[in-house]
Amino acid sequence: MSGAAFDGLKALVVEDNVHMRTLLRSLLMALGIKHVYEAGNGDDAFQTLRDKLPDLILTDLSMKPKDGIAFTREVRLSDESPNPYVPIIMVTGHTERHRVEAARDAGVTEFLAKPITAQNLFLRVAEIVERPRSYVRCTTYFGPDRRRHTDEHYSGPWRRKSDFEKDLEIR
Amino acid sequence: MSTRKIPPLPAAGEEIKVAPGAYPVFSNAVAMGLLRAVRDPEVVEQADRVIVANIDGMRTAVLDYIDRVEAAARHSDNAGIYDQAHEIRGLAGNAGLNATGRIANVLCRYLDALARGGSKPDRAVVAIHLEAIARAAHAEDEATRLGDAVANELSQLVDKKLAEINLSEDGRRPAGFIAP
Repeated sequence: MSGAAFDGLKALVVEDNVHMRTLLRSLLMALGIKHVYEAGNGDDAFQTLRDKLPDLILTDLSMKPKDGIAFTREVRLSDESPNPYVPIIMVTGHTERHRVEAARDAGVTEFLAKPITAQNLFLRVAEIVERPRSYVRCTTYFGPDRRRHTDEHYSGPWRRKSDFEKDLEIR
Repeated sequence: MSTRKIPPLPAAGEEIKVAPGAYPVFSNAVAMGLLRAVRDPEVVEQADRVIVANIDGMRTAVLDYIDRVEAAARHSDNAGIYDQAHEIRGLAGNAGLNATGRIANVLCRYLDALARGGSKPDRAVVAIHLEAIARAAHAEDEATRLGDAVANELSQLVDKKLAEINLSEDGRRPAGFIAP
């Protein structure tokens, strides 16, 4: 098993269901991450984030009293957040579009749909490691850039300020 | 030099971009170690064994949530029915109960659309889903096409019920809709 390279790596699993939490922790440990902390809701998770400074977070969406969306927003925007840039993988069984969009707009880095497979979890981890994304700050959002792909054939609409500036440069 | 601070709010219509490296990212050693691990067949096999080892516990949990969702239904607690059905759909796949998870997902889709549209669920529709969930979770042929066929039938039923009240899956009513 690989290991020494990330002996100090810390992960946080936020999940109210003890069975799912155990499974996620065990999978991260199978990957070789030795320090895996756990929390059962968003409030406890934020406290653990401040205490333990994890390098990677896996969070469920539906939890009480604070859910994964509110937790993600707090990680990204709170003055008390020790690392607003920490990668967050949202692990969810939700298929309703409005819930997934809300999570994305809170600043989630990756989604992992339930049921969990080792392959899918590892793919998300690899994505975070291989292609860390730029973060975007605007009046309504702070989080990973939600525009993942550059479409060479995209023909508009062009709505961003940088698009207008590029257009002016060309002229 | 990297920062862990959020950039200040830009003016309306503008955005600030922080590139990887300008904020802290995994060191090269950690990144290479992680990538080696996720691609190591032995590690993947070990992780697959972890999932298999958890199946029995997950199955017990699903059965427990089935008791809870039935209790919520007896009290006409629609939010409770959604919450418990959501737990079932989240766990069932890792319990080897794929059809159970699919049926629970259909029920969640139905309840979510109604809640967003401000409508109450048809109790018969809820009851038939709960019956199907319980039967599928206890059936020895859960993983066969029979369970999938039931899930497909119920999905069509939900589509029909939502159409009857002019409600789309995202809980929106079409333009011009006038409530009865």
